[in-house]
Amino acid sequence: MSKMETNVYKIALVGNPNVGKSVIFGLLTGKYVTVSNYPGTTVEVSKGVCRGLDGGVEVIDTPGVNSLIPLSEDERVTRDMLLEDYDKHVVQVVDAKNLNRGLLITTQLAEMGLRVVLVLNMWDELLDRGMNIDIGMLQEMLNLQIVKTIATHRVGVSSLYSSIPAAKVPNLYIDYGNLIEDGILRIQKILPDNMAVNKRALAIMLLSGDTSLEENLQDKLSKDSFENIQRIRDGIQAHFSNPLSYVINIKRANFVNTLVKRVAVTNIKEGKTHPFIRNVFFYFLVPLASFFMGYKLMTLLTYLISFGLPPGNMLNFIVPLAVGVITSLGFSLYLYLREYKAKSTIADILGRITMHPVAAFPILVIILWIIYKLVGGFGAGTCVDFFENKIFGRSLVPSGGFDIYIYIPFIQKEYIFTHLNFQGFNYYLGFLAQKLISKDNIIFELFLNEQSGLIQVGLTYAIAIVFPIVGFFFLAFGIMEDSGYLPRLAVMVDKVFKRIGLNGKAILPMVLGLGCDTMATMTTRILNTRKERIIATLLLALAIPCSAQLGVISSVLGRVPGMYFALYVFVICTQLLFVGYLSSKVLPGVSSDFLMEIPPFRMPKLSNIFIKTFYRVQWFLKEAVPLFMLGTLALFVATKLGVLAFVERMGSPLIKNFLGLPVETTRGFILGFLRRDYGAVSIFKALEETGGSSGIDPKQLLVSLVVITLFIPCLANFFVMIKEQGLKNAFLMFAFILPYSILIGGILRIILQRF
Amino acid sequence: MAETNQEEILELIWTIEEEKNGKVEKDLLVKRTDVPSIEDVLNILTKEGYIKIIDSRVELTKKGRADAQLIIRRHRLAERLLNDVLAVNEETMDSSACKFEHFLDEEVTASICTLLGHPVSCPHGKAIPPGDCCEKASKEIVPFVMPLTDLRAGDKAKVSYIVTKYHERLDRLSSMGLLPGVQIRLHQRQPTYVIQMGETQIAIDDAIARDIYVRLT
Repeated sequence: MSKMETNVYKIALVGNPNVGKSVIFGLLTGKYVTVSNYPGTTVEVSKGVCRGLDGGVEVIDTPGVNSLIPLSEDERVTRDMLLEDYDKHVVQVVDAKNLNRGLLITTQLAEMGLRVVLVLNMWDELLDRGMNIDIGMLQEMLNLQIVKTIATHRVGVSSLYSSIPAAKVPNLYIDYGNLIEDGILRIQKILPDNMAVNKRALAIMLLSGDTSLEENLQDKLSKDSFENIQRIRDGIQAHFSNPLSYVINIKRANFVNTLVKRVAVTNIKEGKTHPFIRNVFFYFLVPLASFFMGYKLMTLLTYLISFGLPPGNMLNFIVPLAVGVITSLGFSLYLYLREYKAKSTIADILGRITMHPVAAFPILVIILWIIYKLVGGFGAGTCVDFFENKIFGRSLVPSGGFDIYIYIPFIQKEYIFTHLNFQGFNYYLGFLAQKLISKDNIIFELFLNEQSGLIQVGLTYAIAIVFPIVGFFFLAFGIMEDSGYLPRLAVMVDKVFKRIGLNGKAILPMVLGLGCDTMATMTTRILNTRKERIIATLLLALAIPCSAQLGVISSVLGRVPGMYFALYVFVICTQLLFVGYLSSKVLPGVSSDFLMEIPPFRMPKLSNIFIKTFYRVQWFLKEAVPLFMLGTLALFVATKLGVLAFVERMGSPLIKNFLGLPVETTRGFILGFLRRDYGAVSIFKALEETGGSSGIDPKQLLVSLVVITLFIPCLANFFVMIKEQGLKNAFLMFAFILPYSILIGGILRIILQRF
Repeated sequence: MAETNQEEILELIWTIEEEKNGKVEKDLLVKRTDVPSIEDVLNILTKEGYIKIIDSRVELTKKGRADAQLIIRRHRLAERLLNDVLAVNEETMDSSACKFEHFLDEEVTASICTLLGHPVSCPHGKAIPPGDCCEKASKEIVPFVMPLTDLRAGDKAKVSYIVTKYHERLDRLSSMGLLPGVQIRLHQRQPTYVIQMGETQIAIDDAIARDIYVRLT
């Protein structure tokens, strides 16, 4: 092996899903990439520069793979990166407790002839499990640098730095048996010489029937050569009952297993939680939590079906209490009998109970409720109110200032420190502007107009309304992700998702969509087939309201009886399932199997969650704020040119006669083109005004909110749809969603009228 | 009818029928066999009422079909035995199975079938015609080798084989390390199957679980 000149190589991070590649990437480069306890977080390659090595070596982080013969888009990204023609030192990250699976990839890297450093990450968890690996022996056998790390605690990073320049091709050679070896040789002869990796590796991939590799080789090989390869493959396949790829995988696995048996010491021990904490958990925490769960579920239920007991009736108080006590007793006893003697850790128990066929569902409802309280209640209510009305304020009306106070929870008293006489940024800005120009000046209107001013509406909206909601949502999402709850959710919804042409895996984009559909549409890449990606994209655009929209909708629905909230959720869910079901029947292509790794339940690291939330919010602001501005500008121009009034006139018969809504709401739907939540607010205001003293008609409100939720996606989401699915598909979805949402609204109206 | 060559031909007709959905061209039959003096063998089979030759097509009679079924059953059971239990490599498996089919008697066949847990398909994924023993067993005893779906939560088992029509499924499972010989524990059956394999927990759906055959340990 010729000695490399200094630093002309790049570092490529490769490994199984969820082993900590992104954490190590962060440590090497000081750059942040989203890290989570969910396989498939990284869907594209991120690049950075390694700080610790002289001259700045480029580091590339890749999506996790189980094999270098790709079975999905993100796996292909990794493989293609490895085939690119430049010198690279591969840092292969392995979950130390899953050495087998890591080494399966190492054998393939060795076949490619790439220089490798093996990182055995999560060393602490390995030791916790009572296992050990003889690093010295493994190092000797593979003739390789091996580093053990605990990446989340920055343990072992310095030895990683020092071993990267000394990366070597692993000393691994698998004999696949005469028949296959003969095929490999024959294919090697066909392959051109100027390949970036060893021809043996390519030949093995081709024998395995790797079609994506054939696409890559398209311009390097003639048609004849491809036919030749095909013939060789068929010839060898005829001797085997199982597909060649399977035969090759088995040989590899056997090889790795013998290797691991020699170096790994397994002595599984379980249950390490301190007895005191265990007792607190079983005798106190579980009963308390399950009481709360039962109590909350019951109050939620009474609220939703609003069977009207007069307020003050004792039953209002007693029923939930009784349900709470029953749940508490039943649940705690069940868990106690099942798990107390089993000596497993609390994390394990939580991991199991959150995918328990029965218990998991009430837990899910409660988790959703907590998220709703955090995002919808605190984020969308308190925070938005504060930012929008107090900090930003309005350009022409002073906000009146606000108090700084402490709220003392149990005695429900507010202790006011001082009154801050701050009237809002927009007010001061408007005040200043009016010194120079009149408030009817077009410049003033462009920026500070109440309906479509760039600052008064665009910026204020993006930062004061969307920012707190999205921020809190990402915080909650981060906790679900890092604890390992999301993959368990996937287990629970798999059966339902199968019906709509997806599988459990699709829960990730769906839940993320409740935060931001735009971001979620990009994440659909983790799905295995094209059909699934299209269905998921469509459903996100149609039926998943984003957090900003949810925030507005839930606060608006809070003003009418709970039954309407239940109806809203019901209609949207039915549409999700119905359209999903239809498209799974109509669209060509196949759905894939549900096969997913469930990471262990872990206590989320707060610092990681905060960093992650920070970066996601930053991404969101960077993407969304310009679009809000653009949208507001478009709105301003449209108003000034009278286009808006024209469309309003065109659309109003439909709105009025078919949906039964006042004409004034038309504007809201047109705003919905730009932002759906934006539209919701506008519609609400219009309904409030036309309702007058009698208040809002809840039926009208329900119809309009259903339409605006199902309505076409926001501008940003639409752009991403075009990027991910192509112009044609994006427009087809658009053309379907627009009339469909109005149709459903109309049908809903007709049904509601009967009652 | 104990003639090895005749049995070979009946077996081949069945196999081609399976592949070509029922149409067996005589030319193809002749091309794919190395039985000497094929024409004579076909004549005897026709005379004894095992097959009919109509135009250029060969067809099994009812009698011939029953016999062919038994031969096929013996052959594919033998393959399973060699593959799963004796772990003979694939190349020898094929040639040995061909010999087995001619000398196994009814009783031995049934006990092999029972030993293997009345498998429904051969290692190549083709169907094994069921015998009397299979029908009895489906009512009575817990089979030796069974699909993952038959395990109860908490059971420990070893993967015996994976039979699937889908190439990709096989690739995906094997690249995760789920292969014959691997020790697993069924964690739960609902809402989806979750299995524990070493330090890895994997959730799989019904369809995959049905394709994985295991043996209790």
